[in-house]
Amino acid sequence: MKPAEDRIRNYLRSLEHALWLRGLEDADTLAEVENHLRESVEQELERGLGPEEAEREAIRRFGPARRIAADFEKERIAPMQKVLLILAVLSGLFLAYLDSRPGWDATGILAGGLLLSAGLLTLLGYRRPWLIALAVGVWIPLHDISLTHDFTMLFVLLFPFAGAYLGWAARLGARKMLHLT
Amino acid sequence: MGAMIGEALKGHLDMLLLAVLEKGPAHGYAVICSLRERSGGTFDLPEGTIYPALHRLENQGLLASNWDEAGPRRRRMYELTARGVEALARSRGEWQRFARAIDSTVAR
Repeated sequence: MKPAEDRIRNYLRSLEHALWLRGLEDADTLAEVENHLRESVEQELERGLGPEEAEREAIRRFGPARRIAADFEKERIAPMQKVLLILAVLSGLFLAYLDSRPGWDATGILAGGLLLSAGLLTLLGYRRPWLIALAVGVWIPLHDISLTHDFTMLFVLLFPFAGAYLGWAARLGARKMLHLT
Repeated sequence: MGAMIGEALKGHLDMLLLAVLEKGPAHGYAVICSLRERSGGTFDLPEGTIYPALHRLENQGLLASNWDEAGPRRRRMYELTARGVEALARSRGEWQRFARAIDSTVAR
């Protein structure tokens, strides 16, 4: 059986992870939740529950970590998420502008730019890789399709999608390593 | 808590939280205890659900918070702002009109 102390810590870790997955991690919120749980445990102990039961009851009353994180997500779209999305659109428009210039013929640089922009923005904490990929990558095909009606240009989206999901995977990996250490 | 009460509660949670904090600053745990006590145990929400609502009300400028470091435990205290007081008065008026209308409709 797990020691009582671990139960609260494990719950906080689950909540932290659930918030992080939504780009909403916040040390103050976690400190607030921890205080709440510890206070709740004290109250349950005063009511006569044993330490382990008191922790279990405090966590049950608080609600499942994923549900609470989902409630936070509904209530606040983190400003950071908006900033990252705006940066994605701006970098996508900039790359599309470069691509539209008559003398420009550096496809490798464009592909790298799409991959890197989407990857970095996801790595920095954007929670929806597919949306970042579209925000970065949709402008070049849109521009080209509007001129040539050639829908094969949509293959360009492969680069931001690859970047965004690589960034996402790197973020998950980093998160796991941090938790292991 | 019945499903009907739970759903109704969600729609009025802001007003209830503001009403609880009308009496003075309180931290989240005290807010949920007060909500439970003042409703005679009817409003027994999953406790974690009030924090997103408290944070939203703070972002809307209806509540202000600060960390109280004085006690044995560091606590985030919430209090009504002037805008919060106005919002509560408005919600309370609307609620009273609504409750009277429901009451006079369903009363036998």
